[in-house]
Amino acid sequence: MTGEGFLAFAGVAALGILSLSLLLATIRVVLGPTLTDRVVGLDMLVMVAMGIMAVIGIRTGFTLYLDIAIALGLVGFLATVAFARFVMSRRYEAEFVSRDERGIYREKHND
Amino acid sequence: MKANLYLTNILLALVWALVTGSFSFVNIVFGFVLGAAALHLIREQVGSLGYFERGRKLFSLAVLFIRELALSAWRVARLVLSPRMELKPGIFAYPLTVDRNFEITLLANMITLTPGTLTVDVSDDRKFLYVHAIDCSDPDGLRRDIAMGFERKIMEAFR
Amino acid sequence: MTELLQNLLVGSMMLLGAFFALTAAIGVLRLPELYTRMHAASKAGVVGSGLLLLALALFQHDLSTVTRAVAAIVFLLLTAPISAHLLAKAAYGTGYRLWSGSVLDEMGKERTRKGDGQAGSSR
Repeated sequence: MTGEGFLAFAGVAALGILSLSLLLATIRVVLGPTLTDRVVGLDMLVMVAMGIMAVIGIRTGFTLYLDIAIALGLVGFLATVAFARFVMSRRYEAEFVSRDERGIYREKHND
Repeated sequence: MKANLYLTNILLALVWALVTGSFSFVNIVFGFVLGAAALHLIREQVGSLGYFERGRKLFSLAVLFIRELALSAWRVARLVLSPRMELKPGIFAYPLTVDRNFEITLLANMITLTPGTLTVDVSDDRKFLYVHAIDCSDPDGLRRDIAMGFERKIMEAFR
Repeated sequence: MTELLQNLLVGSMMLLGAFFALTAAIGVLRLPELYTRMHAASKAGVVGSGLLLLALALFQHDLSTVTRAVAAIVFLLLTAPISAHLLAKAAYGTGYRLWSGSVLDEMGKERTRKGDGQAGSSR
């Protein structure tokens, strides 16, 4: 009696629950009325994926999955920051920049 | 003065590792603890009273943070799993007492990870923090909680 | 004996972490608008993934794994709130309105009172 059975059961159950949450987050990414909602869903996907890697690391005994989880977290963070900047810059463009008929960007002077 | 004592402590840890001839991580940490104990013994002579006081306060800030984090996750779980979600969200302004960039960042991060509150923005003059709360029926109470809890602890630990 | 204890601890931490990750995902799907969804993603999500990483650290408990797992958790704790409030700020700046059931918006009040036309005009 070393609790091996419980550990195996917990691993499978955790993987099942995490897959379900992955699915739910994906539904939000598909549904999301605006871009920002989709980015929140994407953020959630990255976090759940890190958790899945940790569980797989426990089940297989490869600690290399930890490095992959760290790298994924880094990339996910950068992606979120880039998306936030993109959302902000799009608003700036809509408000302060206009394109003339030749397609050249100019600053709006609306004062 | 305090940075000096910290350096002395690290030096003592290195000396311990040198003398015992083992540079493993655990041994260096043990040497650091021994060095802190040695500094504690001569606290009257080198004036290291504040050093330990500060360590204790940082530790209590960390403990408070972890407790609040667990509580907030639990509260989100309960809210989400309840059949009818009782939501009264809103954004309130929190007047800042801390004024250094580092402290504002720390406070904003901690507010985000604690029950029911999320930092949205800092005002341009860095006097206010705009905080989104999931239950904003009592903004004065929330302001008091932050001021009495995290902000006070941060002031104690870093001033 | 210690092995039994360790297995029980790691197993229950895995289940708990997965549970919190699930509640975060349900919250992201079920809550009515962006700002409240962000609450679920940033709090429950961090605790869920953090618990799973901590379970891995407890299971392997050799030095390099533990330090890497702790680094990953600290990293998660630092980045999750930053990305949450950057997104919230971007959404608010582009005029994403608060949910109709919201009770208070001191940020909008402050902006319009100061005559800061940038946020006011886009809404």
